[in-house]
Amino acid sequence: MTYFTDVAFDSINKYGEELCGDKVEVIKTEDSMIIVLADGLGSGVKANILATLTSKIAGTMLMEGASIDETVDTIVNTLPVCNVRKIAYSTFTILKINEDGSVYTVEYDNPPLIFIRGNRYYDVEKRSSTMINGRPIKESNFRLEPGDTLTVVSDGVIHAGVGAVLNLGWQWENVKDHLTHVAGKEKCAKNVTKNLIEVCKNLYADKPGDDTTVVTVKLRKGEEVDMFTGPPKDSETDPWVIKKFMEGEGKKVVCGGTAANIVSRELKEEIIVNMDFYDGDVPPTANVKGIDLVTEGVLTLCKVVEKIKQYIDDLEINTAYKQGDKDGASKLVKMLIEDCTHLNLWVGKAVNPAHQNTDFPIDLTIKLKVVDELIALMKKLGKQVKVTYV
Amino acid sequence: MTIIHVCIGSACHLKGAYNVIHGLQKIVEDRKLEDQIIIKANFCLGECTKAVSVRVNDNPILSVDEKNVETFFEEYVLGRV
Repeated sequence: MTYFTDVAFDSINKYGEELCGDKVEVIKTEDSMIIVLADGLGSGVKANILATLTSKIAGTMLMEGASIDETVDTIVNTLPVCNVRKIAYSTFTILKINEDGSVYTVEYDNPPLIFIRGNRYYDVEKRSSTMINGRPIKESNFRLEPGDTLTVVSDGVIHAGVGAVLNLGWQWENVKDHLTHVAGKEKCAKNVTKNLIEVCKNLYADKPGDDTTVVTVKLRKGEEVDMFTGPPKDSETDPWVIKKFMEGEGKKVVCGGTAANIVSRELKEEIIVNMDFYDGDVPPTANVKGIDLVTEGVLTLCKVVEKIKQYIDDLEINTAYKQGDKDGASKLVKMLIEDCTHLNLWVGKAVNPAHQNTDFPIDLTIKLKVVDELIALMKKLGKQVKVTYV
Repeated sequence: MTIIHVCIGSACHLKGAYNVIHGLQKIVEDRKLEDQIIIKANFCLGECTKAVSVRVNDNPILSVDEKNVETFFEEYVLGRV
């Protein structure tokens, strides 16, 4: 059985700094994923260089199969020595997660990783062999099950609040407790990350005293969404396209009036437009038996792209959609962010007369462009996207 | 029973399909014709250049906007009730 590794990370910079001294590197190999969080000594440019070098070297060498000893040795001998402190230094955490759920971790001086299963924290047994600057490198092996959450934070998180509302900062124990409440409830890694980052931001009163980074990994069963938009170029292929579209195991989404009409014709199921809710911005949704969500096309998709962009750009918890939003775009965004690991797109290339209408706003004229944007955003969120043009 | 289909596809939505639906609902209500006329929203009727596309029963598609809802109603719907 293979699983989907859902990874999400966000950082906030030390107040007044342009660059972040924490660096996260995510590398996908054929059957595993390597994630490195490095926290460079100091802040600003210097820290950024140290962290970037560390994460790049570690990621690249481990991916190519180098041993941890070789990798650490290379890092120690490569990093420039800090003029002030006379040491070359960057803390790091490395996670290697295989598709079957087995995990290998290497930690050096970062706050210990936090492993949550259900609503409980579990201690991970660690062993140490090598030392750098008198501090041990800790290794561990364990196995993740679907639904498990693994969180790695930089010390900016456990110090959150120092110099502002807390004397000693948030502290690791409290971060751990907070995570046991959050991790089980959120389905996707990004929402867990956003939650922690938002708490840190608040504790720092929007003036972080240190670079603050959260990496969350969730092992999930793959969840597919099959999405059909736009009529096929050649209407004779309609029956074939719909047959293929319905064959997939995922949730079914149809975006577009004409597309919905085609689906309705092929499935011999009536379209019932949902009139009990009307949003001025987003055209109504409809119900077709056998389809999970039916929306209008290009306007809804534009809105979806806008909302996902907002979701990615805003560090705060999710301003893009609320649970229970009823408009088509919000429903679709929620599904794409939370309930989707694999997106299969069926994109029709027929020209829609409506979009040739001279009164139509310019940026709506190219639906394919909107779809391309959506694909790029979904990839950015770590989703696997497959596109079939019909 | 007369059914008025109002298109709410992309083009019609932008041209104010909601206002047309709203206008029709109001007229039907004012004239107490609720048990004789049903207003239904429809996905794309395929006549996007005629936005807002409206079809009464199975008759040809007409172009209606929020300003001429009343005239449209008098001319094309009332005669059938």
